[in-house]
Amino acid sequence: MKRQVPLALCFLFGIAMIFTQFVPHRYSQELYKEVIDWGLIISPFALALAVITLIQTHATRVRRRTEHWQYSFIVFAGIIIMVCVGVPFGEQNSVFVWLYDNVQVPMDATMFSLLAFFIASAAFRAFRARSFEATLLLITAMIVMLGNVPIGDLVWNKVMSWTPWADGASGTRQWILDILNSAARRGIILGVSLGVISQSIRIILGIERSYLGGGD
Amino acid sequence: MLEKFMNMDRRIIFLLIALVVIIPTLIPVRMPITVSEPTQKLYNYIDTLPSGSTIMIAFDYGPSSLAEPEPMAKAVMQHCFSKGVKVIGMTLYPNTPTLAHKLMRKIAAENNAVYGEDYTFLGYRPGTLQVILGMGTNIASVFETDYEKTPITEIPMMENITNYDQIALLLDLAAGSSTEAWIVYANTRYGLKIGAGVTAVIIAQMYPYLQTGQLIGLMPGYLGAAEYEKLLNAPGDGTVGLNTASYAHLLIIGLVVLGNIAFFIHRRREA
Repeated sequence: MKRQVPLALCFLFGIAMIFTQFVPHRYSQELYKEVIDWGLIISPFALALAVITLIQTHATRVRRRTEHWQYSFIVFAGIIIMVCVGVPFGEQNSVFVWLYDNVQVPMDATMFSLLAFFIASAAFRAFRARSFEATLLLITAMIVMLGNVPIGDLVWNKVMSWTPWADGASGTRQWILDILNSAARRGIILGVSLGVISQSIRIILGIERSYLGGGD
Repeated sequence: MLEKFMNMDRRIIFLLIALVVIIPTLIPVRMPITVSEPTQKLYNYIDTLPSGSTIMIAFDYGPSSLAEPEPMAKAVMQHCFSKGVKVIGMTLYPNTPTLAHKLMRKIAAENNAVYGEDYTFLGYRPGTLQVILGMGTNIASVFETDYEKTPITEIPMMENITNYDQIALLLDLAAGSSTEAWIVYANTRYGLKIGAGVTAVIIAQMYPYLQTGQLIGLMPGYLGAAEYEKLLNAPGDGTVGLNTASYAHLLIIGLVVLGNIAFFIHRRREA
């Protein structure tokens, strides 16, 4: 029963939702709206599940004294403080907004900003023209980087003025994005879409069952 | 010497990056900006909207990546308010409502826009797919109230807005894959016109959608924000950010070139 009921529900709702996409009848569209409304009700439980999983993960880290387990207490403190302020007083409470503006925003922005330092260091050490493919990637990346900033055109026009490609780094970047990138990206999109369709059919028909857990 | 250079202490690189970010921020140099076609298309589309039209802005980025999409939001909202185009804000990110609400309030105050009449902010609801699809049938079925807890039915500018049929454009300011979700579910299913402003790392993913017309326009990273500001003749954070990024890009390119020169000399010597 634990397996048959979810499989039957998945089959029924999968077929019903496909049906609603191709049948414009009133009943079909009402069913579609109803399922969307159910989805909106179910979605918050996914958030609750995420919070529970986060707490479980960090509780396990503390229990097992894994590396840097002490930091898990900061996670707990963060959750408790934001919940205690946010749930009873709302998101627009001045304390909640202060914590958000002065703790979360600077911390998040700092974490992301650090990438610039590490990317620069990694690019210097690892971005080497070791093979033909690596050289191609290196040249393309440098052109796109130059074309992404106005100073790139100034540099390009000085260095490349004697070549047939003297229309600026931004023009060459645009050509790479429009032609080479789009062709490759379109292939990826088509491949992924076909994969999603085939996987969806397998799930609806109950052939693919890994989402149920248990390993079969 | 060569060995020393190739194994340069990474703290020197960190210091160089810090300098090329801090100095241009403190001493800005105005550089010539050429407006690219995707940004021009987005600008033209909004510019030709009749006064009283409504667009929706999805603030689909978090505090970590706000540096690029925020100048875009400022420029587009400034453009909308100056044209009398109304703006509905919302987000698919749970940690963004406070950020987006504050930003909308600030830009509206600078442009004398009135909350509820010229703009509103709906906030966040969980479930990306269900939110996008649900608003296609009825926005009020997803957002019964706005972020300030006013029932949608009591907001003057929402009086004649039921679903996407009354929305002239959805502008997704994104730092992730949300734009593709808007295209697949809102554009394909409901025919909603989509524009995007995305961080530089995901620009490449957007180009196939630009060519098919599923995206009517695109602001690519800092460059897009600065281009839009140029079209408005109002340089702002995007222009400053782009100037800073210019020097950072040049430094990284310089480091890669020097690293490769050193690599080839080293390889020749070893051979």
